[in-house]
Amino acid sequence: MNVSLNWLGTHLDLSGKSIKEIDDLFTFAGVEVEGIETTGIASEKIVVAQIMEAVQHPNADRLKVTQVDAGEGSLRQIVCGAKNYQVGDKVPCALPGAELPGGFTIGETKMRGVESKGMLCASSEIGLPEGEDGLLILPADSPIGKPVKELYDSDVLLELEVTPNRPDLLSHRGMARELATLLKTPLLDFPIPAVQPVSGASEIQLDAVDSCPLYTAVKIRGVKVQESPAWLKQRLESIGLRPINNIVDITNYVLHELGQPLHAFDAAKVSGKIVIRQAADGETFLALDESEHVLAASDLVISDESNVALALAGVMGGAESGVTESTTEILLESAYFTPQGIRRTSRKTALSSDSSYRFERGVDPQGVFAASALAAKLILEIAGGETDGKTWVTGEAPVLTRPVALDAKKLDQLMGGSIALTDAEEILTRLGLSKQSDGLWNVPSFRADLQRHIDLVEEIARVHGLEKVPSRFLGAFVPASAVDAAYDADMILRRRLAALGFFECQTIKLISDAQVADVLPLRPLQDGDVIRVKLPLSEDHAVMRPSIIPGLIASAERNVRQQVKSLKFFELGRVFRNAGGGKAKDQESETLALLLSGSASPTGWAQKDRTADLYDLKAAISALVGGRQVRFTPKDRAGFVLGSEIKVDDQTVGVFARLSPSRERELDFNTPVYVAELDLGKLRKLLTGVNHVTDLPQFPGSSRDASIELPASTANSVIEAALAKVNEPLLTGFECIDIFTDPSGEKLGADRKSVTYRFFYRASDRTLTTPEVDAPHQKILGALAKDLGVSFR
Amino acid sequence: MKEQIAAIQTEALEQISAAGDERSLEDARVAVLGKKGTMTLVSAGIKDVPKEDKAAVGQLLNAARTAITTALEEKQIELREIADRKALAGIDVTLPARSLSVGALHPLTQIRDQAIGILRRMGFALADGPEIEDEFHCFDALNTPTDHPARNEKDTFYFDSGKLLRTHTSSVQIRTMEAQVPPVRIIAPGSAYRRDEIDATHLSVFNQLEGLYIGEDVSLPDLKGTLEYFLRELFGTTTEVRFRPHFFPFTEPSFEIDVKLQIKGQAPRWIEVAGCGMVDPAVFEAINQSRKDNAFDPEKVTGFAFGMGLDRLAMIRWGIKDIRLLIENDTRFLKQFA
Repeated sequence: MNVSLNWLGTHLDLSGKSIKEIDDLFTFAGVEVEGIETTGIASEKIVVAQIMEAVQHPNADRLKVTQVDAGEGSLRQIVCGAKNYQVGDKVPCALPGAELPGGFTIGETKMRGVESKGMLCASSEIGLPEGEDGLLILPADSPIGKPVKELYDSDVLLELEVTPNRPDLLSHRGMARELATLLKTPLLDFPIPAVQPVSGASEIQLDAVDSCPLYTAVKIRGVKVQESPAWLKQRLESIGLRPINNIVDITNYVLHELGQPLHAFDAAKVSGKIVIRQAADGETFLALDESEHVLAASDLVISDESNVALALAGVMGGAESGVTESTTEILLESAYFTPQGIRRTSRKTALSSDSSYRFERGVDPQGVFAASALAAKLILEIAGGETDGKTWVTGEAPVLTRPVALDAKKLDQLMGGSIALTDAEEILTRLGLSKQSDGLWNVPSFRADLQRHIDLVEEIARVHGLEKVPSRFLGAFVPASAVDAAYDADMILRRRLAALGFFECQTIKLISDAQVADVLPLRPLQDGDVIRVKLPLSEDHAVMRPSIIPGLIASAERNVRQQVKSLKFFELGRVFRNAGGGKAKDQESETLALLLSGSASPTGWAQKDRTADLYDLKAAISALVGGRQVRFTPKDRAGFVLGSEIKVDDQTVGVFARLSPSRERELDFNTPVYVAELDLGKLRKLLTGVNHVTDLPQFPGSSRDASIELPASTANSVIEAALAKVNEPLLTGFECIDIFTDPSGEKLGADRKSVTYRFFYRASDRTLTTPEVDAPHQKILGALAKDLGVSFR
Repeated sequence: MKEQIAAIQTEALEQISAAGDERSLEDARVAVLGKKGTMTLVSAGIKDVPKEDKAAVGQLLNAARTAITTALEEKQIELREIADRKALAGIDVTLPARSLSVGALHPLTQIRDQAIGILRRMGFALADGPEIEDEFHCFDALNTPTDHPARNEKDTFYFDSGKLLRTHTSSVQIRTMEAQVPPVRIIAPGSAYRRDEIDATHLSVFNQLEGLYIGEDVSLPDLKGTLEYFLRELFGTTTEVRFRPHFFPFTEPSFEIDVKLQIKGQAPRWIEVAGCGMVDPAVFEAINQSRKDNAFDPEKVTGFAFGMGLDRLAMIRWGIKDIRLLIENDTRFLKQFA
């Protein structure tokens, strides 16, 4: 809401208050100051000057060289391009050093070779409203040399954000009332004529008392619709409103003065009684902004006996029924519309106005008459006309407040004893509440937000200020939760991956339908598993991600465009699916996704480039789970190649794949892109750490190597499966140390490979002798030879 | 024999002196002192020396052996020094480093971890809840009127099921109070969603940190103390903190919290970092109804809640001008947090 400081100053004395003090005052009242704009002329160095001479510039057709008297004792030469003045006119002259709006400072300069010591100004150049083209011609009696600032009013426009619980602040009077309370200064008198309410039954038919508990109207005949007087136009302009005509301006002015929206109908366009009714389903309405709306029974309209909707109640007038220059007789509406209905209609029709803004937050039911009376008085004064002095009334003002108890003990507890009860009561009194004889507090009608004890406490705390409340820190012991444990595990995983050279990403959880093709969830998606939001902001953010991979691919793609050579990314987070074809509940689970592509490690003078491969990713996953063995079991995934299940200790913990080469080309990757998505729940359980250390061996062990020759196409898992069957107590471990192939076929058949494993033997109670090692080794080789049908080299 | 010993000694010393590397020195040692070395052989001849000469010859042998051994040792030290010098001569310490892969935690993770670290030290435990929420947990139980603007389909993402994407982590307050009894002292970091077009200051999916403390005699001083200490830990011990009255449906009284940001070369300014307030009794009533008990009796327990935008904290903390940097994952950006 825009508030003019000058306007506010008509309601309370703000003299001597700096803008900073007023800013703080609002801030600590709970009203956010979003902008402060000083209008009018700021600089003292813009003075009245008389143009004494103007001759053609020797080097520029469109410029003149003027000599001006700025009251300095001698003339000042200024080059000027304007044409609207005559020699002898008085105009604003910005002297060197003057700062103009937009932040530039006037200096002495040469224009096309001619000295120019200042600038003659147009109105918009010095911060005044846009005037006619060319220089601002000042009144002939303006004293030469006087700062132009002193000839024009300045004002401060405050852009305020009022919280939705405080509709009473949405007017200058309301805001002033609040400031007066906080400043403990009196609110200046604001006389409002009394009204003569009469039953409006003969003129008003109120068919929707739930939506409109109170409707009043005043008829004024013989008005002359014309431009508003200067003071009224200035009031509206001071808060950024455009004056329209005197009648509309008065209703707008009263709205911003008192907070009660009004509407003026051209009475000639109302046939018979005013009828306040719910709209018919499908009824159409042409608003005064020329937008057309199809209404529903939930919308409230102001109609007449011809059944035409004249206005969308409380939201906007109709295009046909408004006040125009030919209007002579008006019906001035002032009413209380219930907030829920206005809010619903405003939202549905996407029509909002200063009026709907206030009605949907709740206006003061007792303010309906005052606004009507003030507007009627002003119309008579400004637009002429006459009235019988009667205000037609239907319905009655709803009572929205009730007496509220203030619990002194609870107040003391909540405030930490920082305020005495008498001080708290004094605050309530200043806010317009009054204590009844039974101890309950009467709440003024404009504070319908004060309904409960805690609402009173809020007011006391707000006015008292939290800076007066002591700080206290007491802890109640609460045990760590399962979420704590999960968080700690996740941080371990994150730190391990960062240490391995991976960058943690944060990608958006809403993805596009097209990106669904890149998902690699732990279980393949079924029809209906994807969860779509109903009204996506854009196609790019329409689907709740079933997998983190699409986000990582998009991030990697962005980095490829930046020529990043090594792509190592991970993200931990939630993924979403609608298990069971959309019938069952939506499920949220947490996964860890990895993406690896490009250089395996940075290159340099000492390091050759090596393209990362899937074994690098396997290594990273292994490091993640404390060096446990990680196995990939091939299992196809549509849209990907090399799809595999990831197993740790025989438990499936995730899924691995490489993007299909065609997809890689499509995304401009020129190295293979490997991705993995891991079940975070399972990973966390694998981070058990050490329970009990193993004693270090007391005796040395021995190792034996064995090269197994097999068809090149045999998967290594076949060897590992055979090795897994070996049951030899002295064998403590084995590892694959070499894979040899010879495409030329010279040392080994081109379709063969030789895989070398190293076997480790050790006894816990003695050093093994050579025969003691050879015997189990031969036994193992024998078993492998039999199982795999292989020979040893 | 005496002459023989002298000759062997002379020859050996010459060989040792001539050795250019450790290998030829070893050859010299073997030739003299090895099993079949000249010295070894001549020493074996001592048994044939007449008794009266034995002592003198023995002495001579010992002296020769000592001289040779000493020469060997000295030569070895000399050769090793030469070799060491040679090996070091080729090393240029000024060459640039090899490169290791350096990864990083996302700035959001870092600021969240810092905040969580402080709050856990202050005795808060972590909690969470679903991101796909129902209206009860996101709005109703949080005292949000049915026609509140936040419930608009233009501002909140809904699903055909009627569920919605939580608009704040405050729903975790409700989830937690349904499952626990006072004292409740939790923090809940997590995603929240609003139907905002993505631009330099808005994300449709963003990150919040929620806090809740419910117990007997939890008061405004507790709220103030907890949040002041927390923010001073986060922003520096001398940071000024102020509480501005505000409005939230689920707390009363409510405040927004500003910290005074002091950046070198800039005028200090107040910047909003969090919202907070005392839990509205209406929230307790909704919880009790949902629990079907009176565990959160508004006559007995009070509490405070707070919430803050983690993306915003990260932006303030590191002077990040465009929030989109937090979701674009540009390595040039992420590297700065390594």
